[in-house]
Amino acid sequence: MATLKPILLVEDNPNDIELTLAALESSQLANQIVICRDGAEALDFIYRRGPHENRAVQDPAVVLLDLKLPKVDGLEVLAKVKGDPATRGIPVVMLTSSREETDVVRSYNLGVNAFVVKPVAFDEFFAAIKEIGVFWALLNEPPPHRGGWPSNG
Amino acid sequence: MNQHNTAARLSLDLTACDREPIHIVGSVQPHGFLLALDASGRIVQASANAPAAAPVGARLETAFPILDALVRRYLDGGQSQDGATYLRTVALGPEDARQFYEVAAHRIDDLVVLELEETEDASGDAGLDALTPRLRAFVERLHAAGSVEDLCQLLAEDIRHVTGFDRALVYRFDRDWHGTVLAEDGNGVLPSYLDLRFPASDIPAQARELYRRNRLRIIPDAGYAPVPIRPGTTPAGKPLDLSQSVLRSVSPVHVEYMRNMGTMASMSVSILVDGALWGLVSCHNQNPKRVPLQARNACDFLTQIFALQLSAKVRGEQAEQRLALGQVQARLLAYMAEEESFIDGLLNHPDDVLALVNASGAAVVTADRCRLLGSTPPEREVRALYEWLSERGEAEDVVATDALAEEFSRAEGFADRASGLLAISISKRYASYVLWFRPEVVRTVKWGGNPVKAARPDPAGGPDRLHPRKSFEIWKETVKGRSLPWSVPEVEAAKDLRASVLGIVLRRAEELAAMSEELQRSNKELEAFSYSVSHDLRAPFRHIVGYANLLKNREGSHLTDKGRHYVETIIEAAFSAGTLVDNLLSFSQMGRHALNKVSGDLNGLVEEVRRKVLRDVPPDRTVRWEIGPLGRVHADPVMLRLVIENLLSNAVKYSRGRPEAVIEVGRLPPQDHEAVFFVRDNGVGFDMAYVEKLFGVFQRLHRVEEFEGTGIGLANVRRIVERHGGRTWAEGVPDRGATFYFTLPLREEA
Repeated sequence: MATLKPILLVEDNPNDIELTLAALESSQLANQIVICRDGAEALDFIYRRGPHENRAVQDPAVVLLDLKLPKVDGLEVLAKVKGDPATRGIPVVMLTSSREETDVVRSYNLGVNAFVVKPVAFDEFFAAIKEIGVFWALLNEPPPHRGGWPSNG
Repeated sequence: MNQHNTAARLSLDLTACDREPIHIVGSVQPHGFLLALDASGRIVQASANAPAAAPVGARLETAFPILDALVRRYLDGGQSQDGATYLRTVALGPEDARQFYEVAAHRIDDLVVLELEETEDASGDAGLDALTPRLRAFVERLHAAGSVEDLCQLLAEDIRHVTGFDRALVYRFDRDWHGTVLAEDGNGVLPSYLDLRFPASDIPAQARELYRRNRLRIIPDAGYAPVPIRPGTTPAGKPLDLSQSVLRSVSPVHVEYMRNMGTMASMSVSILVDGALWGLVSCHNQNPKRVPLQARNACDFLTQIFALQLSAKVRGEQAEQRLALGQVQARLLAYMAEEESFIDGLLNHPDDVLALVNASGAAVVTADRCRLLGSTPPEREVRALYEWLSERGEAEDVVATDALAEEFSRAEGFADRASGLLAISISKRYASYVLWFRPEVVRTVKWGGNPVKAARPDPAGGPDRLHPRKSFEIWKETVKGRSLPWSVPEVEAAKDLRASVLGIVLRRAEELAAMSEELQRSNKELEAFSYSVSHDLRAPFRHIVGYANLLKNREGSHLTDKGRHYVETIIEAAFSAGTLVDNLLSFSQMGRHALNKVSGDLNGLVEEVRRKVLRDVPPDRTVRWEIGPLGRVHADPVMLRLVIENLLSNAVKYSRGRPEAVIEVGRLPPQDHEAVFFVRDNGVGFDMAYVEKLFGVFQRLHRVEEFEGTGIGLANVRRIVERHGGRTWAEGVPDRGATFYFTLPLREEA
């Protein structure tokens, strides 16, 4: 399979979606960007359930996960993904407004790969998103897939 | 000079004398005779000297009709009075050998005891009338008397005057039942015993009880031969109880005692205050002497008036002292209520603490603190005393002693400062005490003879018989390890203080519990608030900045210059609002997060921060750094970094206009166990009038256009330093620069 892995953006706030997309756009990544508006939908996508039942067998290159989400919140999604050996390898970056230390500590305890507090300054925000996208979607070498032939689907 | 341990002596000599059954001695003195009658008026017992006309078994009606009439009247009168009642003076016997008798009666069990005391004439009936002027004068003088000793002196004089004894003593018992002669009146025939002390064994316990029940005793002739009562027992088979008898023969030991003293006649009157034996009036005569009944009655009366006056005086003095102590106590209460810790209320007013119980020293001792006031034993001794008190357990709330070393032998070592101890327990749970001390008062006691009576072995091989001492030569003894005793009002004042302290502590505990509940609730609210600010307030500012930037970057070409200026302003305003939120959050976190203190090198930290701050300094500026040796400190490195960062970036910021900015960081010599640090710059400085505003949240002394910032940096500095137990302050001169100081508590191993 030759297609690039998608970037999964889990965010309920439309303004944040638009700004994050603008930033990713400016980094000129070719990866498809999938948007889920709550934690439940994100899990459906990752586990190919419900509306995403028929999508290709392919883990996201990176999950950009907001902390506060409707239905299933960001920390629950993180716990589920990092608690499952089948999905543990998926990089998850918390992208959040929170500066609460407890959130940071809990996220790292759950196995988050990075925790980014969205900067107020626009330039810094753009730079951060671009760096995250470039690093996780292009530079980062994911762990080797165990079991089966990943690209045969 | 002799020294004795009083307690040990007491247990030694209060033996044989205490066992003598003196109230059932079975005989009477020969200056009168005794008849015991049963309910039917039959004579069941009689002293051997009773007239032959009144044999045992006869009816009184037949023997002496005149007496029988008196007894009937006595019985009909419903005798409620304890002790013998004087009935009247009668004449008995044939015309040519007429003898006058003073007749007294009392009841014991179901018998009536009739005692007929020989008298010179029939004038006994004259009653108290003749004495009335004297009694009135006595009462007036009692009212005018200043001290207890003055009262006693009046009593001694009057009783001697009424009775005509050679010497009258007023004798007072102390807590150990030793007696001291407080007043004396005499004609010089007998030696003076004024100020002498007589050991408790001189008047044994059962004699004291007898004295309480029978207020007046008389021995007209110590050389008398006792007259037995026959038969030896009552119809009920018991020896006749003579405790209320006026003719009762006294203990042979007492007679021997009198002879040794060189007195052949004596009379004693009990002084009862509130039902308890307070002392005695003791009268003696070198030669045998009879005292007519009316004079004896007058003495009894005088003594009772004296006792009432004495009781009123003692009460008055105590009330006065209570009033005085009450004022001290009220002040102490106010002090305790004012202070955070009631203990400070006490410690800050040592004079009143001591005055409360008239002590010369005091200590407030808890498990970890020992604070001394006034003249006290050294701290380690107070600690030992505290341990001893704690081990005594919960039995007593108040411990008062004027001879501490008798109970706590270690106190002999510091008797000069603390022979008297008054202690209250103010917290059982945390074993806390307030202790008061009184110094030793070394007294020389003049005993009336060697107080140690010798028990002589009985030559017949019986139990050792007690012999009263033969010598009444003054025997001096030095009493050591004693303080002045604590008075009743003083002990009560201590108890009241204890109750107040417990009340305050209890109320404080309740207030604290309520406060901590309220604090926990408001802390939770604050946390929820910051969380929500963190997430919800910050996002809109980010969005405004983001969209305004997109507008500027992507649609900028459609805008006029003015439009682009508007957009710039929106971005700046929203950015500063967002930064403000961030700063606020970090400020609130500063107060909530636990400190993680470790020791480290402050120069290293300052150097790291300095490099970071330099990154924001434009390259065209000249900054000269003068950093002195700062040493090691014990602090939370993350928090302390924020302090240094704020101070250094402020120094850089406010010295921006100088051709050469000079920033100095240094450490001053320690003050009051604190390390003092400072950061000095040669910048714009500030007016000292506003110095208090510097460290407040959102307090700014400069316009935003001059110097950027949200006005929270120094508030963070103060908050962090205070959480470390340090202080912050600043000095400045407008346009000459500013110096910011902060301190950290010194830790020896830091």
